[in-house]
Amino acid sequence: MSRPLSASFVVAAALLFARPARVQAGTVKGVVHLADEAGSTRLYQGYWRLENGNVPVQSSGGAKAETVVVLELSRDTHAPAARTVTVEIGGLDARPRLVILGPGSVVELKNTGKVTHEFSTPETPSLMPVERLMPGGLRRQLFNAPGGYLIRCSEYPHIAISAIVVKSSYFSALDEKGNFSIPDVPDGKATLKIWTRGKWVYEEEIDTTKKEALSIKVSGPKGKETKDKDSAE
Amino acid sequence: MFLSKIWFILVALVAGLAVTVALVAPRPAVQKLSTLEGQRLDRAQYAAEQMLKVDAHKWIDRVSKLGRDAIISESLDSASRGAGEINVIHKTVQDRFNSLIPDLASGGIAALAAVDNKGRVIARAGENDKEYGDYVTGAEVVADALRGYLSDDVWGMNGRLMRIAAAPVLSKGRDRIVGALYVGAETGDGFVERLKKNLDVDVALFLRGKPVATTAYAGMLGPLPDLIAQHAQEIEKVKRTPAIPFTAGNDQLLVVAAPFAGQAGQQQAFYVLFGKQPANADLPALLKNTSSDDLKWGRFPWIPLAGGVLVALVIGLLLMRNEGEKPLRRMRADLKQLARGDIFKLQDLHYGGHFGGLARDINAAIERYTHAPSAPSAMAGKDLNAILGDSAGGKAFDLPSPGSAFAPPPPAFPPPPPSGFPPPPPAGFAPPPAFAPPPPPIFAPPPPFSAASIPPHAFDADIAPAGPEATRVVASADDVDEDTHFKNIFDDFVATKRECGESITGLTLDKFKDKLRGNKDALMSKHQCRTVRFAVYVKDGRAALKATPIRD
Repeated sequence: MSRPLSASFVVAAALLFARPARVQAGTVKGVVHLADEAGSTRLYQGYWRLENGNVPVQSSGGAKAETVVVLELSRDTHAPAARTVTVEIGGLDARPRLVILGPGSVVELKNTGKVTHEFSTPETPSLMPVERLMPGGLRRQLFNAPGGYLIRCSEYPHIAISAIVVKSSYFSALDEKGNFSIPDVPDGKATLKIWTRGKWVYEEEIDTTKKEALSIKVSGPKGKETKDKDSAE
Repeated sequence: MFLSKIWFILVALVAGLAVTVALVAPRPAVQKLSTLEGQRLDRAQYAAEQMLKVDAHKWIDRVSKLGRDAIISESLDSASRGAGEINVIHKTVQDRFNSLIPDLASGGIAALAAVDNKGRVIARAGENDKEYGDYVTGAEVVADALRGYLSDDVWGMNGRLMRIAAAPVLSKGRDRIVGALYVGAETGDGFVERLKKNLDVDVALFLRGKPVATTAYAGMLGPLPDLIAQHAQEIEKVKRTPAIPFTAGNDQLLVVAAPFAGQAGQQQAFYVLFGKQPANADLPALLKNTSSDDLKWGRFPWIPLAGGVLVALVIGLLLMRNEGEKPLRRMRADLKQLARGDIFKLQDLHYGGHFGGLARDINAAIERYTHAPSAPSAMAGKDLNAILGDSAGGKAFDLPSPGSAFAPPPPAFPPPPPSGFPPPPPAGFAPPPAFAPPPPPIFAPPPPFSAASIPPHAFDADIAPAGPEATRVVASADDVDEDTHFKNIFDDFVATKRECGESITGLTLDKFKDKLRGNKDALMSKHQCRTVRFAVYVKDGRAALKATPIRD
């Protein structure tokens, strides 16, 4: 049942004018410096990784492509709308590997390859137990609770999909240089969290009123190591 | 017996100490052996890791060398550029594989594949060699190769482990990456056998909690993955577990587990090395593990042991001889002397410990029987005055009168105690009523080694009374005629008086005999007995006489 257009305007206007006058919007931005090993495209290293000596190796992607910065505000915020995201599993890979969802969203795993996979959320097996996904098969998984979830294939562990369920729209992926920018962040206290390669690796309380660019260094799999702050712009 | 007891306590303590040492001494050795076995496993694990590393490099070299083949390079270049039919290229590459490596299995290759620069499989050899055209770009090792890396990985899929090596394939001009090759090396039974041969330890491979291949203990490894999982932190930190005790059937083992490199490490893929724990140090295990060789002359200190045991035995026997047998023999000899009448009582001061007590007890018993009444005859052994009473015309032996042959002082013949302490028996020493034979004949030989068995002459005149109630008795034999008996009594009486320090002035044999005859007749008439026997005894330090009526 659709809502009348006039009613929608009324609701939007009411929300607009209901916001406290003292709340200002700003941009939280900065750069995330991941550890050296995070620059590798590989999750799991073997014994050797040697350059061929003739043709320069191509380094692109790495952990930055699978990293997201999330702000959790202390006040209630509007969560992104629930949606369904399809992740194609083929060529021994998953695309996309990182999905950011609102509560109630559904991740749809579609096996377009020729091998059978066994997906689950190993950290929370009750949420998504191991289940075989045959070639051409489809598996849907609902995510209600905010948080970070790693969906992994037990047969091919490098195939891992990060599903980040957020309760606010204040998040950002990293660009190739590790920069992030989250616009329109209300002034106040917030928790900045960084998720990369299947786990939360950094968490810090910040004051968004300071409007200063953050420089966050994350090294090692356990996350928080050091943090530098640049001068405010 | 004191020293004997001390010796036996010492021997028991030494024996206990020896047993304790025997049981405890192997423990440090067992612990040391266990530590050494753990260290051996550590070294084996390090060696295994180096083998895996070297092996991975070898496979990378092989696949890299294979990638330098011109036909393969040109074929993959064509496929990457989209030039030519994929089927033809597939056939060309596969044929080339077969010509270069005709027997994959003998080379330990489980799978071989060539991909173009988009990750599309152009040809396979070995497993799934009919399939091609699918994409494997997502495989990290393949993606790495397409970026220009030579690398390796370990895959665990379909319940199997496979070590993967991949290398880029460069164009003919070696200026572009036109594809990649990857090879999967067999990582199963052949691999664990090779590890065992090189490391001299049993090996097992695990994937996702299940054994993949093992050189030993098949079917007994079920609990091992859980055991390894308990050491996840150590595996995370140092990439291996410490030596973990593990029981497989009857074998007590030590195991060291280490994860495989690559993505298989995420799949709980481990190689486990087994070492045997040293045998237990408890008694059954020690006995079980003792062989006949261990007891040979050259290996076991038989001579010191036998010498020690012999010395202990000799010392123990000597102590027993000195403290047990020797006093016993001496006492037996003394008792024989006592029985013969050579001595009057046992010299208890010559005995120590319990034997001294025994001698004192024997002496006390002798004293007791010296005073004991004769059960069958109320008159036997009684003082003459008690026997004759007033009817005999006064004192039977009125010896105290000076100048008389029978002149002991008045206390020598006190009235007999009314009860409880009757006058001593005559030389017969009849046993107490509880086990006494019938009284007549009074001097019948009693059983050996009882107080009653002491013959009449057993009392030595040299032995002084021990106390005021003690009485010395000089008895006379029963089988002599009256004159001889009176003569013996007289001699005893005189001797006794001398020993007691009494005067014998005026005491003659004839007077003595007359007196005895008179008393004998009086007694015989009074008690209607056949005869009367007299005995000399010491009472209150003075010589006295006793009369025993004999009926039979």
